[in-house]
Amino acid sequence: MLRDLSEQIDLSVMIGGPQGGGIESSGQMLLRTFMIKGYDVFGIREYHSNIMGAHSYYNIRVKSVKPRSVKLPVDGLLALDAETIFTHYNEISGNGYLIYDTSTEGTKIERIAPIEVEVKERIKNDLKEAGIEPIISDVIKYLSRKGVKTIGLPLKDLLRKTAEKLNTNLVSISKTVNTMSLTAMVSLLGFNLKTVEKAINYYFSGRKSIIEANVEAARTSFEFVKENYGLGKEIPDGPNRGKTRMVATGNDVVAMGKVAGGLTLETYYPITPAQDEAFYLGLHRNFKVDENTSKRLGTDKLGVLPFQAEDELAAINMAIGGALAGARTATTTSGPGFSLMNEGISFAVIAEVPVVITVWMRAGPSTGEATRQGQQDLLHSIFSGHGDSPKIVISSGDHIEAFYDAIKSLNWAEKYQTPVVHLVDKYLASSMMSFDKEDVDTSKVQIDRGKYITEPSSNEGERFKRYELTEDYISPRTPLGNRLMMISSLTHNEYGMVTEDPVTREKMLIKRLKKIEKAGMEIPIEDKVRLYGNPDAKVTIVSWGSTKGPILDAINLLKRDGIDAKLLHIRMLMPFPSDYVSKILNSSDAVIDLEANSMTQLAMAIKMYTGYDIKKKVVKLSGRTIMEHETYKALKSVIKGEKDFVVMSDGA
Amino acid sequence: MMARNWSDYRTSAWVQWCPACGNYGILTALQRALAELDLPPEKTTVVSGIGCSSRIPYYIKTSNVHTLHGRPIPVAQGIKIANPDQTVIVSSGDGDLLGIGAGHFVALGRRNIQMTVILHDNAVYGLTKGQASPTLHLWIKTKALDTPNIQGNINPLLLAFASGYTFIARAYAYHIDQLKEMIKKGIKHNGTSLIDVLQPCPTYNNIMTKDWYEKRIYYLEKDDPSWDPTISSPEDLTKKSSKILEKMNEWEDRIPLGIFYINNTIEPLETRIEKILPGYRANPPGKRPIEINEKPLVHPFTEFKDRIVET
Repeated sequence: MLRDLSEQIDLSVMIGGPQGGGIESSGQMLLRTFMIKGYDVFGIREYHSNIMGAHSYYNIRVKSVKPRSVKLPVDGLLALDAETIFTHYNEISGNGYLIYDTSTEGTKIERIAPIEVEVKERIKNDLKEAGIEPIISDVIKYLSRKGVKTIGLPLKDLLRKTAEKLNTNLVSISKTVNTMSLTAMVSLLGFNLKTVEKAINYYFSGRKSIIEANVEAARTSFEFVKENYGLGKEIPDGPNRGKTRMVATGNDVVAMGKVAGGLTLETYYPITPAQDEAFYLGLHRNFKVDENTSKRLGTDKLGVLPFQAEDELAAINMAIGGALAGARTATTTSGPGFSLMNEGISFAVIAEVPVVITVWMRAGPSTGEATRQGQQDLLHSIFSGHGDSPKIVISSGDHIEAFYDAIKSLNWAEKYQTPVVHLVDKYLASSMMSFDKEDVDTSKVQIDRGKYITEPSSNEGERFKRYELTEDYISPRTPLGNRLMMISSLTHNEYGMVTEDPVTREKMLIKRLKKIEKAGMEIPIEDKVRLYGNPDAKVTIVSWGSTKGPILDAINLLKRDGIDAKLLHIRMLMPFPSDYVSKILNSSDAVIDLEANSMTQLAMAIKMYTGYDIKKKVVKLSGRTIMEHETYKALKSVIKGEKDFVVMSDGA
Repeated sequence: MMARNWSDYRTSAWVQWCPACGNYGILTALQRALAELDLPPEKTTVVSGIGCSSRIPYYIKTSNVHTLHGRPIPVAQGIKIANPDQTVIVSSGDGDLLGIGAGHFVALGRRNIQMTVILHDNAVYGLTKGQASPTLHLWIKTKALDTPNIQGNINPLLLAFASGYTFIARAYAYHIDQLKEMIKKGIKHNGTSLIDVLQPCPTYNNIMTKDWYEKRIYYLEKDDPSWDPTISSPEDLTKKSSKILEKMNEWEDRIPLGIFYINNTIEPLETRIEKILPGYRANPPGKRPIEINEKPLVHPFTEFKDRIVET
């Protein structure tokens, strides 16, 4: 019976505070708390491009089976500072909780420096319209009137109590205030103290005094809530108790995929939100293999070299050099860096060099907003590289896809001897989801290096035909150091020697084009496009990348309203699955394009590849996460014929 | 097998430089240096950028890469990092290495990777018809310029010194024997070496001609038999650096040639990588196994334990 109850659990909690003030640990601990209780989690971090002081928050969703998106309003808002209350007061559900520090009650919005001028004005106007003074105490009163349970924690007193119990001073344990707030929230939501303590142990693993202080702080807070507000009705265990699971960001899983996929060299120049992937790879640069494997390979010391270049021009060209010498290489970047890599991509196309470019899209154009979401590099990716530059462009819809795509991209790069652009974004980079061992099953994947020759030539001085014209347009490849050969960025003949012969030029251009066409024929359709939902549904939503989660969740909500819709999720943008897409779109009554850019770049690409002109569009341009509730609302209004173009704008 | 002859490093490609171009001297010196070091052609890579001089990879029978304008240094480093056993030589022009690729020229010094950079230094852009390159001095008007040069010059030796190159030499393209010896020493040096090769461009540089150079050039070790550019300790550097910098700065009436600086106290990148990635030299990125029976060597749940949660 408890199991049935657990299936109904759908909790949303938000935790906000100043960047650098422990928000990261609190978010991570919260995720672990819910997982330990047996639930699946999906959480996303919104933050400013700033090291310390600016507002940052986590929105976390908890369900018994994989949540795929976040939503508003939330059931609990944990405000680590006054700014969080002003920023999110209208995002709490009617019977939800606000947990805050009572010492912030006297704070006026004017006094909060990090809130941007126009945001401050907007919040003040909104408050004025609702008849609220721009001071925390008045906002709290307003929320209470609305039915929100406002839980003020006297954090200074609680901290003092904790210090006494630990027999230490206030300063040394000041950081535990976040743990107290967090414990207060989860105990009101019905989680027990033991779960929180376990989460603390996990997050601060091995750091004994920190664990001790945080556990004591949690106990103090738990007792306070119990005495003053009463504990929430205990939540049943979720279906995932007693398992070895993982929680990781998109940055993490791409790094994992690359290591599993045999990456040996990753060059990069620091850029948000790509840097955490390189960082994580760096943490795991030395890896262990089991005894059997090490015996067979003759070594137990294996590793991946992450290498920081002086700029993105160097990063892509070093990756190219590494690949020419036999390394399995990738580089990781975001829009601005990808712009600098364009000449390198063109070089990799003509020289037929396998290299993966992982592009973590963020809000552009230009520097734009480094830490915010955008899907604005679709056309940039397809057309990257001057001259005719056919290549492979793949985009991932969620963490699990991103893991496998990282491996597949490395394979395709070597098999088709081409640059592969792997499109991911800020949404995936800074969202965390729980998953199991079977979700990232490496026995399902194969490492494929294509026509790769490692035997040296038996005849010194014999030139290797690196660009041999073959029936399948793919030439045998060998690393520098192995055979005598020439690699060139100039138009070249089969030996790589420069030529301006019109006949050779034509043959080589066709060779490179046909090679990618061949990839299009060989790569299975499910790697290129997926259809979700009832295939007979007459409403088709078309999208790409990380919008997948919120759209699938919104489709479920639409179903409750009796609206049957399916999602055509396009993964490969070059070579494009034109026939499949064309067939689905032409057999639909209504087609809606949904993406996070203003030009509706996927709709443009579809028109280019298939001739199909999508008229109904939903976009999000605010740089913030696309959420379930707004996707549902936007799609519904378009399906009902109320609007043909909707801009979703939720989220602070 | 017999030692290789320099003609073993020639290709059948038509060499498309203008008559009397300084590039011929560099090409011959490099081929001879490779022969005297007896380097296997497939284990040697000449990397170039774009420009007249950057056609050199087609004329040397080794496993070469002709890259983009300004990018030979990053490509060369990628090759060397992936396969430290490969002999890697960058041979490219002054516009390529000090103009569009200057950032890479500087960053290379910080790494001190074992690699030789041959800088074809003629002070002009040849293929685009004679514009001023970053090594052309202020107010010099070569014949293709419509005004005298209003931009100052970069001193490649000083830039290399400031950047951390550990072998810095200057040669003259028509002195093939001396250039060949410097190239050999550069290749054998355990770190990054720069050989700045002064070369007349008979087509576009009508100022810095063969005559102009030959009136000015002299060799450091001939001029001063006590000249010793080798640094073997921090004290050596303190003692010798002012003289080294003075010689690097000398220009106009007298232009010194020879080896200005060899610093043997800085560990090369290969050694540094081995420290953070044990096993690197034995299994570098270009050679290490990446699968076993086509299956991955690593599973996330066994390697990335920091993301595990026991529920």
